[in-house]
Amino acid sequence: MFIDFFYTLKNVGIPVSPTSFLTLHRALRTGLVNSLNDFYTASRSILVKSERYFDLYDQAFAHHFEGTELPDVSGVELDDIARVMLDQWLKEPRALAEALGIDESELNRLTPEELIEYFKERLKEQTGEHHGGSRWIGTGGTSPVGHSGYHPGGMRVGGVSRNKSAVKVALDRRYRDYSLSGPLTRPMVGEALKRLRNLVPVGPKDRVNIDETLYQTMKNGGEIEIVFERSLKDRLKVILAIDNGGYSMDPYISVVQTVFDYARSQFKDLKTYFFHNTIYSTLWGDSARFRKPKPIAEFAAADSQTRLFIVGDASMAPYELMVADGSIHIEERSGTPSIECLKFLADTFSHAVWLNPMPEDMWNYTQTVKTIGRIFPMFELSIDGLEKAVHFLMAK
Amino acid sequence: MSGKRESAHFTGATRYVLDDELASIINISMALEMPLLLKGEPGTGKTMLAHAIAESLKMPLVVLNVKSSMKLVDALYQYDTLTRLNDSRFGDSSRNVSNIEDYIRMGKIGQAFTADRRTVLLIDEIDKADTDFQDDMLDVLDQMEFDIIEIDKTIKARTRPVIIITSNAKKDLSDPFLGRCNFHHIAFPEPKMMRNIIAVHFPNLDAELMENSVTAFYRLREMEGIEKKPATRELLNWVRALTADPDFKPKKLATGDIPYLGVLFKKSQDLQRTNELLRRRRLF
Repeated sequence: MFIDFFYTLKNVGIPVSPTSFLTLHRALRTGLVNSLNDFYTASRSILVKSERYFDLYDQAFAHHFEGTELPDVSGVELDDIARVMLDQWLKEPRALAEALGIDESELNRLTPEELIEYFKERLKEQTGEHHGGSRWIGTGGTSPVGHSGYHPGGMRVGGVSRNKSAVKVALDRRYRDYSLSGPLTRPMVGEALKRLRNLVPVGPKDRVNIDETLYQTMKNGGEIEIVFERSLKDRLKVILAIDNGGYSMDPYISVVQTVFDYARSQFKDLKTYFFHNTIYSTLWGDSARFRKPKPIAEFAAADSQTRLFIVGDASMAPYELMVADGSIHIEERSGTPSIECLKFLADTFSHAVWLNPMPEDMWNYTQTVKTIGRIFPMFELSIDGLEKAVHFLMAK
Repeated sequence: MSGKRESAHFTGATRYVLDDELASIINISMALEMPLLLKGEPGTGKTMLAHAIAESLKMPLVVLNVKSSMKLVDALYQYDTLTRLNDSRFGDSSRNVSNIEDYIRMGKIGQAFTADRRTVLLIDEIDKADTDFQDDMLDVLDQMEFDIIEIDKTIKARTRPVIIITSNAKKDLSDPFLGRCNFHHIAFPEPKMMRNIIAVHFPNLDAELMENSVTAFYRLREMEGIEKKPATRELLNWVRALTADPDFKPKKLATGDIPYLGVLFKKSQDLQRTNELLRRRRLF
């Protein structure tokens, strides 16, 4: 029974195990599953073990029992595209009017809802022969578009499902906000960073080691000998360098920064620096990259055990990376090509990673990403990527 | 499946508002005798649920609050070596020093296993402990038994407790662990549900106050840049504070005059930011 359903789930990418499938059958035998509603909840709680897959489950369920379309990228992305388009509209009404081919004054009369509807209509007409129908969004530079499932309003999830059929509920896709492609939130990053622990004993010997005390006492023939030890504390130093120039990085800066601040208590020392596009001879301690320069040569004296995180999209014109004096900022004229500076940092800190907010499958399209990826191990700025980065940093 | 167990159905408790979906998941988990893993934002009532189940099924509740330094054996039993050492040196207790069993004390899981009746065992915030803890616990929960190494004795569960495990983590627990649990994610209640929850706690609440406080609460939650969003617990405390204040008028809330923000926001930065936004009338 339901073997097809099981394989539908497996095919859409939910990690389901045969054991749990058998458990589901055990559940069916208990007599508690009497309707499609019951089956929906029962099989979800038994087969799906993370809320991140709830959304996929809903879609697969609706597909299997109602025959709706399985996840289809264009349909899913439409809302997000529409949202980005709205932002764009607020910023540059004229450009949008041109792109949609209507008059600007006419455009201004539309309510946001009407605008989205109009846009969707256009998009539907255009699919097929006009593949780049939404290309202007990309060229407009609003890169959050790839960042699917971005909901400015935060989590928006339904709670009660009393009067709806399971398929309706499934079609609601209440768990969209939790799916893997969702935005990186602070708790998620905090969770990943928590693994960055490097506990070593420090401080006075003021903790009683009871096991050792007992052992030593027994060895002494019952004469009590109390063994003290030092408590454990994290001695890890972390340097965080963030690319805060260019608005492609904007959505990530605050998240990254607050998260590292949040994790600060775990590290002995956390310093944050800023750069634009790539690092030349100087990093900046202030976000305006003006008042507090920090020559990277000074890092040579730093503790080589320090973990270096560089966060940036690593996308720029190749000359910015390769040419001496390649910086687009006139005041940054060091005579050393940026790539040498990066190599210097990589040599200085053996524990360094580059976190890239761009999706990994896009990296190959940008030359500088590949080049930098050869210097620093590069990871995606996502939950999985962070996890891998932390794992990598702790491995050595 | 004994008849007794089938009759034990969970339908809700006096102070807990349950949605149907969750109720059926709990009943299935109980029927399958599998632990139920609950995840969700803080303040969605994960811990309260276990209390509610225990209350409605009239079973004793055993709570294991997981701590970061915890080893599994602490949750199972403790061999109180210090007392034994003390007794052996001074010998002024009624315990038999040569009988180690006198010095074994049951931990929370041990208590649930050895209890006379079926209990509800709540393992709270399992993500706090390291992964070893979870992995070690697998066998214990699977086999429903554990060994006391010191006296070479196996403790078998007399009755399988109803096990509720909660986790705050946004990260998943280990796969083998998940494989042995049923899973549910409690979403943050919608305004409608929230009104029911408030009504359960404050049966005589003024309708206007209810409406305005819930609206204000969800607006405050939607603010950007808040580190710790207020949750159900905070809302209930806040409503309590509002009702306790004789000078308070519910109308004030709608105009953006929100007292007792400190009850809702527990971090000084969040509080500051809220005050700032409210002053600028950005929110209302």
